[in-house]
Amino acid sequence: MSNPPGAPSRSGSIANGPPSAGVAPGAGNQLPSTPSTPSQQNLNQIVLEYLSKKGYSKTESMLRRESAFHDAEGRPLVRRAEDAGGKMYERGYQLLLDHVSDVLEVYKPELSRLLWPVFVHSVLSLARSHYPKDSETFFNKYNDRFTREHQSELGQLQTVTAPEHVEESSIAKVYMSNKYRVTLTPMAYNVLVQFLEQKEEDGGSVIIALLEQHLHIIKAERGGPGAERSLAAMLARGGEEYDMPAEDEGIPGHNPGSANVDPNAPNKLPKLLLAAPPLDPDAMEDIRAELIEADTRNPPRPGQSSLLEEFEQSIKQEPQDEAASRDAVPLPPMMARDIAMEVQNIREHRDRFRIDPKSSGVGPGVSVCLYTFHNTHNSISVMEFSPDLKFVAVGFQQSYIRVWTVDGSPLPILTPGQVSAVTTPVNSKKLIGHSGPVYGLSFSPGTPKPSEDSPNTNSRYLLSSSADGTIRLWGCDMWTCLVSYRGHDAPVWDVRWGPHGHYFLSCGHDKVARIWTTDVIAPLRLFVGHESDVDVGCFHPSGIYVFTGGDRTVRMWEIQRGNAVRMFTGHTGHITAIECSPNGQFLASADDQGNIIIWDLQPGNRMKRMRGHGKGGIWSLSWSAESNVLVSSGADSVIRVWDVLLTPSEKSGDGLTKVENVVSAAGATGAPQTGSQKKGKKDVVVTPDQISAFKTKKTPVIKAMFTRSNLVVAGGAINELSH
Amino acid sequence: MSSLWNPDNVRDVAESVGISQMNKEVVDDLARDIDFRVSQVIEEALKFMRHARRTTLHTDDITQALRVLDVEPLFGYDTTRPMRFGEASIGPGQPLYYIEDEEVDFEKLINAPLPKVPRDVSFTAHWLAVDGVQPSIPQNPSTHDSRNTDLLPKGPGANPSLSALAGNDSVAIKPLVKHVLSSELQLYFERITTAVLDETNEEYRNAAYNSLHTDPGLHQLVPYFVHFVNEKVTHSIKELFVLRQMLCLLEAILRNQSLFIEPYIASFIPSIITCLTGKHLGNSSDSPSAVYSLRELAASLIVSISQRHGKSSHTLKPRLARTLLKTFLDPTKPLPSHYGALFALQRMVGPAGVRTLIIPNLRLYDAILREGMADDVKRADAEQVISVLMAALMVGASDVVEGANGVASEPELRTRLVDKVGEVMGTKVVDSGNMKLVKVVLHTNIDI
Repeated sequence: MSNPPGAPSRSGSIANGPPSAGVAPGAGNQLPSTPSTPSQQNLNQIVLEYLSKKGYSKTESMLRRESAFHDAEGRPLVRRAEDAGGKMYERGYQLLLDHVSDVLEVYKPELSRLLWPVFVHSVLSLARSHYPKDSETFFNKYNDRFTREHQSELGQLQTVTAPEHVEESSIAKVYMSNKYRVTLTPMAYNVLVQFLEQKEEDGGSVIIALLEQHLHIIKAERGGPGAERSLAAMLARGGEEYDMPAEDEGIPGHNPGSANVDPNAPNKLPKLLLAAPPLDPDAMEDIRAELIEADTRNPPRPGQSSLLEEFEQSIKQEPQDEAASRDAVPLPPMMARDIAMEVQNIREHRDRFRIDPKSSGVGPGVSVCLYTFHNTHNSISVMEFSPDLKFVAVGFQQSYIRVWTVDGSPLPILTPGQVSAVTTPVNSKKLIGHSGPVYGLSFSPGTPKPSEDSPNTNSRYLLSSSADGTIRLWGCDMWTCLVSYRGHDAPVWDVRWGPHGHYFLSCGHDKVARIWTTDVIAPLRLFVGHESDVDVGCFHPSGIYVFTGGDRTVRMWEIQRGNAVRMFTGHTGHITAIECSPNGQFLASADDQGNIIIWDLQPGNRMKRMRGHGKGGIWSLSWSAESNVLVSSGADSVIRVWDVLLTPSEKSGDGLTKVENVVSAAGATGAPQTGSQKKGKKDVVVTPDQISAFKTKKTPVIKAMFTRSNLVVAGGAINELSH
Repeated sequence: MSSLWNPDNVRDVAESVGISQMNKEVVDDLARDIDFRVSQVIEEALKFMRHARRTTLHTDDITQALRVLDVEPLFGYDTTRPMRFGEASIGPGQPLYYIEDEEVDFEKLINAPLPKVPRDVSFTAHWLAVDGVQPSIPQNPSTHDSRNTDLLPKGPGANPSLSALAGNDSVAIKPLVKHVLSSELQLYFERITTAVLDETNEEYRNAAYNSLHTDPGLHQLVPYFVHFVNEKVTHSIKELFVLRQMLCLLEAILRNQSLFIEPYIASFIPSIITCLTGKHLGNSSDSPSAVYSLRELAASLIVSISQRHGKSSHTLKPRLARTLLKTFLDPTKPLPSHYGALFALQRMVGPAGVRTLIIPNLRLYDAILREGMADDVKRADAEQVISVLMAALMVGASDVVEGANGVASEPELRTRLVDKVGEVMGTKVVDSGNMKLVKVVLHTNIDI
């Protein structure tokens, strides 16, 4: 152990720091020693001679030992890492890094999860203690490891070099005010602590201090709450997911799935009522009558079930979950229009392209109709098809919305007073009202008309949200703005209608999601909890829960009580799309790193992670009517179809065969893995549950949507600049 | 150099507001602070970029970000107009970059004609996929582009049939099903192939053809027969007998009603074309007439294929016609090849085709004919070609109504015909005395 590496930096950091150098630990205690060097040296000598003469041998040996850490000139030798000034974190971190790479293979994945929080807090501590240069060298030396998982955080962290930055930077605020939660098995934890205590002087104490101060380490047995951390599971994954965070890891610090962020919260989840609430008995009778009428008018073809049978079947189906009562979230009574929509829904559901749950290995061949927009000059920010597939609305950067009819027929425009098209019929209309780019669009529920004489069932309203902080409601008859809802004081990123069209959800830059109803201009509920912007939102099909995505977490809120009931962490990028399955069991969320994660809602855990999309954002997700196939689309100009129910564990059977399979799978992949590992880091790995991928020519696909009949409708603007 | 921002800039700005003396540490600290502020703005702006579903940052995003951060936005920058940087030199190796900002003359701007109205946003629809397969239409990326393997899952657990469906058989995944032929079929194949090549026993051969023509269970064997034919034709180009038997074999298969032959047509057409237009068929001992009859057989096969299967593949007929026309117009090919090509062509394309494809080319072809007639060795071949050309003209004239208009004098007619179709053919046409022929030749618009 020698002095030189510490010396130059010390002088450097003192010179760079503000005059009050006393803040820097390790810098203060050496300044006064320099002037008194000769006398102190002599003094020691004299005292030692004196002690030996008097026979105080114990005191003498103690003094010898204690003065041994001073060099010939009497300056203290830097032994302890803490005394190395700004370098102490580098030494400590290097120590931890070496340990993690040397430790037994079993502990490696767990311990390597510690590196990121320790890295962040090292950087922040350096910035806070006025070591701008050390902070920079530290950052540059160790950041490579995290570029894949924490790219945007690295970007934010890089410029944090002064105490005032720590105060202001959003990421620093998050990390300083929360404890980062990591789960370790007791063995791994003990190995780590023993090692750090052993190497206390070489920087172990620095790390221990960081761990104690900023991390919340949960000691849990393997196979406990994090079942996916079991040895077999890790082996089966072939080491590919070491660099992905566990479900319960990270800043919110919560048990997997739980929204309770109290560190001592029990690992227990509130029960969810995921089934659709029962229909009103009167409405049910009305629907039956309508269905019988429809059946007699258009008798089912041979081999086809009648609409009524289809309906009865859907009611009789034993729900897997309990349903909420009808008045959990009050809805207006069903009108003739709602009943006609219900009839049409049942018909479309019957006539759909069926996707069998157990397909023959190849997966269903879905059909995709792509609408390509031209001459947009990159100015489209959002696109939405109406659920009846009558309209397509596009939000532009230039603050307006434009609506087209999908089939090119004239747009029905009602002018006040008369029902006529005075002007020449057009197939599109510009909706002008916003004063900022439009980021969210949503059509109210609607269906094609079930029969000629039924009430109009088309979508009646369009909601839009914009950077100007307002949400606007547009009528689909006259195409005029009806209401402007103000509540968010910052850009509103997303807006969604509820499943019955009475409520809607908005998510904003102000970290709050709000529930509104159309006839009140103030929000009914505020969902507060996200650490940064709420990027996306969606409703649960039962209408009693909503989901919001932002700050890398997905949260599930109960509308009636306004509290969070689930929280899911595990995304490594910004969440760009979420969508709940029609059966209410699963949630799919996608991020801009190309990952799609399926969450199982009731047990509150991650079902699987599906990879394949390139970076740049998956902008749209949609479920098939049977909730077994997911379609996704995004910036990489590819529409991908995924088999949701094919889980990695499904393949390995059960019981005893499981172990064998795991071993053989690991063995079989062992040889090629080593070769492909390096390549895999760069290439996008496509997980085997992808059914098909359809590449467009040059059209990043903004929206891809399953219709109720399981046709995929997609839209995007062709990238004209790229050629 | 600890900050990305050059500390000198801080000093410059300080001087511009009248602070001449600044401690180096203060400058460094300020530069780092600028770094931090800029990154804060970019971080906000990236949010706007993501929500606008883009992957490139625009100046609009920066404007929006500044607004959210409660900072006055920068005005005058527009994403639609790309920023242009000028370069000036303030000394050796010290380039200075600046944003070019043109001075706009109001007078000019007001008097300038209005710019063109930009094209309106519109959309088109197409099928990106039908039942899980991408149709090969111009709107979709070509199969070559989309066949890149990184679209599909790889590695353990990946579904090999998916990859095979996408046409990635080459990636170490062979189709799982091996083509298994029953021993009976194998025996049958062997018998047939020996029978048709048996020069001595005609009865045996005919029985084989008969079987091929009527047997309904041969579908499994079709690719093997196609392969057999192709191989024999390639290797036995000198043996007229083998070539003829091969054509007969193909004919028998083609006539078999129970076979779905369409997928294989493309693979045996080359063999027939070889028999039709090959340079040297048979050896010198074979009589020329035998060679010509082989060509005629091949021609009739081609014609029947194009008639029977032209409907199922709309490119088949044009492709055949193009190949044959190319042979006909290739002066390096010998006359017998021309004969074969013409023979098939005139029967395949019909009267209108003859008028548009053959007659306009006759004047140029005249040179070859004259050369052939002049040469003793080639005269016989040339005469054959002339006869087929005459037949072609007859075909071309077959749907022309004979007019009763006055006929010009013979010498004049002759010059006009020679002018149109060259000396050899012109004379022939006049000599034939068929006024329909004369008419069709004269009335065909040569300058297509």
